[in-house]
Amino acid sequence: MIEVYEKLNEIFREVFDNPTLIVNPGTTADDIEEWDSFSHINLIMMIEIKFGIEFKQKEVMRFKNVGDMAESIQSKIKF
Amino acid sequence: MLNDYAKIFTQAENYNIAYLCSGYQCDLGFGSRVAFRWVFPDRSLLNITFAELEEDSNRCANMLLDLNVIKGDPVFTFLPKQPSLYSFFLGILKINAIACVLFSNFGEEALMDRLGDSKAKILLTNKGFLRKVKSIWDSLPELEKIIVVDIEEQESERVLSYQKLLGSSSLNLTIPPTVPDTPSVIHYTSGSTGKPKGVLHVHRSIISQVKTFREILSVEDGDIFWCTADPGWVTGVSYGIIAPLSQGITQIQYSGTFNAEIWFEILQNEKVNIWYTAPTALRMLMQEDTSLFAKFDLSPLKFIFSVGEPLNPSVIDWARSILHKDVYDTWFQTETGAIMIANRPGMEVRPGSMGKPYEITAIILDEQNLPVPPRQQGRLCLEPGWPSMFICYLNKESVYRQKFASGYYETGDLAYKDENGYFWFFGRGDDVINTSGHLVGPFEIESALLELDEVAEAGVIGAPDELMYEKVVAYISLKQDISWTRSLEIKLRLHVSNKLSSIATPQEFVIVERIPKNKSGKILRRLLKAWYTGEDVGDVSTLESE
Repeated sequence: MIEVYEKLNEIFREVFDNPTLIVNPGTTADDIEEWDSFSHINLIMMIEIKFGIEFKQKEVMRFKNVGDMAESIQSKIKF
Repeated sequence: MLNDYAKIFTQAENYNIAYLCSGYQCDLGFGSRVAFRWVFPDRSLLNITFAELEEDSNRCANMLLDLNVIKGDPVFTFLPKQPSLYSFFLGILKINAIACVLFSNFGEEALMDRLGDSKAKILLTNKGFLRKVKSIWDSLPELEKIIVVDIEEQESERVLSYQKLLGSSSLNLTIPPTVPDTPSVIHYTSGSTGKPKGVLHVHRSIISQVKTFREILSVEDGDIFWCTADPGWVTGVSYGIIAPLSQGITQIQYSGTFNAEIWFEILQNEKVNIWYTAPTALRMLMQEDTSLFAKFDLSPLKFIFSVGEPLNPSVIDWARSILHKDVYDTWFQTETGAIMIANRPGMEVRPGSMGKPYEITAIILDEQNLPVPPRQQGRLCLEPGWPSMFICYLNKESVYRQKFASGYYETGDLAYKDENGYFWFFGRGDDVINTSGHLVGPFEIESALLELDEVAEAGVIGAPDELMYEKVVAYISLKQDISWTRSLEIKLRLHVSNKLSSIATPQEFVIVERIPKNKSGKILRRLLKAWYTGEDVGDVSTLESE
């Protein structure tokens, strides 16, 4: 799981163009000013590309924070 | 006690918007009244009274005077929604400097265009955004100092701590005489071509803002008002700062992102009476399960108003059925400064209509600048002279003059009027894209896309979208030997998002061999739109030959 967070952190930095950004399981869109519904699509697309996975729309809607994302990614990597 | 809004406009030197928003409220005895009730994302609350707002904004004004800001100097904020932004905004106006609030999602290029065009002198920002601003600072010679809200000590002679400056600034301030023509606020807006235009308003604009606040939005003394717009846009300033504060009305500010449940909690818990929001937000609410709404008691809510994009009749039907309320659509633009055409309580709502003009002559003109009969579509124009009319586009005098070439103000919108005086929006007369209520210029996006090595040509249009009204669609042709991949798509998306803003990010890319242009090389966006929607492409005789 640590690897997932490390990779996620890199993705967040690239998507939000902020090399100092640090995310943790509790990070939400309220913590990152640039994280809105438009940039969320970029974020999801980037995660899919970098992890080689695909999300279903319903899954994406259920993500409340970075922890939810990481768990979903982890489950997809496993299978 | 009634706050007689007409009285404040009788004293010629009393037009200072910031004085009317804070000091005047204290003079009326409303100092202890809550001006802002902040709801933070963690649901914590903060009340700011008019007296506190007066003190903080006086300190901000003195802070700016100490930094040698003088009348007419442009002073900007680039911050997420937070209390200090609002005090600082009023502080700017109190010394007759000019305030501009930048949308906090802007990228470097969007920032540079605006700060550079206006010759901004001072910028208020935060630590998180400082890196972005510093990366373009060398290209902004007029930007003397940056004030940072969340550093405790001065970083250098030019990067200063807001808290430190505030602590050493005096509470006492004499507001200079402010005649109605004194420049007050700049808002930037996008056009079909060129860079964004700086729309300059004057302190007189408060007349229209207050009158429409009372008579269209129907806010009465004692009401709780919530305007959900960001102060980076005209609605968030005219109706999220100026109108409610200058009327002594308590307003809600929420600094979190959209969340249906939280929004309804706010409406319920804060007993909101008048709610001013946007069609995209309402359409997002419509996607929620109706059981969500049943658990909230919105009985204090009297009226819902909407602005930013055309309001679909289905939204009105939804609100009637689920919230048991009408939604009143209102129409205005950055240039108009205040509501010009609206539906309002007491008037029959015709779903899909913009409503009727308020204290303005609105007219539909044809290509010969002649008024057209009812139900015939034409250019929506306004008779100039309303109090909140913009006075210029910064550094673009000829563009400003063109806007009034017919003798009327050209809104750029196409519409028609029915036999009963209701106006009906048809579409834009130019290529400007209205996505979720934000106007985006295709030229800026095309320019950003062309900066990437892989892109040979780009043409950007707004395409119909059920949620956002219009979405940004980019037609691109790729350079030789370049293939379209998801990795390239995300590269393009991030480039636009980080250069301009996330709002400008194309939601769809269409790869073509060539971008259609006319013989003089102008991109035929009309043709791209027709391709996208499958409509008749019309006359293509001017199309550039192969």
